[in-house]
Amino acid sequence: MPLQLSLQQQSFLLEEERTQIERAQQDPRFFAPLYERYHDAIFRYVYRRVDEEEQAYDITSSVFVKALQALHKYEYRGLPFSAWLFRIAKSELYQSFRDQKAQRTVSIDKVVLKQVIEEWTEDYTEQDKARLLIALKDLKEQQLQLIEMRFFEKRSFKEIGEICGLSENNAKVKTFRAVLKLKEFFHQKE
Amino acid sequence: MLKILLDRKEPSSDEVRQHQNFNEILAAHAYQQKVNNPWRYWYYPVLTVCLLLLV
Repeated sequence: MPLQLSLQQQSFLLEEERTQIERAQQDPRFFAPLYERYHDAIFRYVYRRVDEEEQAYDITSSVFVKALQALHKYEYRGLPFSAWLFRIAKSELYQSFRDQKAQRTVSIDKVVLKQVIEEWTEDYTEQDKARLLIALKDLKEQQLQLIEMRFFEKRSFKEIGEICGLSENNAKVKTFRAVLKLKEFFHQKE
Repeated sequence: MLKILLDRKEPSSDEVRQHQNFNEILAAHAYQQKVNNPWRYWYYPVLTVCLLLLV
């Protein structure tokens, strides 16, 4: 069961994080607790999008090095610190795709794939699975990102919005449109 | 070209932690700071000139 934090606890944690960021802005050695807190999440975000594990480690390292270099410019604007790190990760990932150092990959659990298909058709078949995989390849990059985060990684719209630089509502609308597009491509392949 | 991987095994948190640590990041950051410093090429020549002027 996910841990539910009260508003008071959340604001206490945010305040503590802000203090840690301010200390790290003075001395990079104090960045350690922030690194320990977010390293695993950033690594997994990167890992699911590249095909080789070593590349995921390299990109994750450069995310944190870039974060340390830009930390003096970081200003708290109501978004969690993790959102800032995810945006750096996203930009590093796309840089490595452009440089052809890594291949754009989507990692999906078969169970999740089955759940998605079962929402659209009555019976799940291997053929449907193949059709959905082909339909995914027809999506635009931004649509794919939204589907990936919402369905394959089970992120909330709030989190998706923070990572993509959208409001929660906008993330909801854009994800809904991406799902419609995916459904359209899926049924076209029949 | 998009590559789709199904049921991919993810490394455990311990494996990830063992593979990378904060000290490496800190060292890479220090190196980058050094490389990005515009004075790094001028530091020793300027120091030498100052010492010569003092002498």
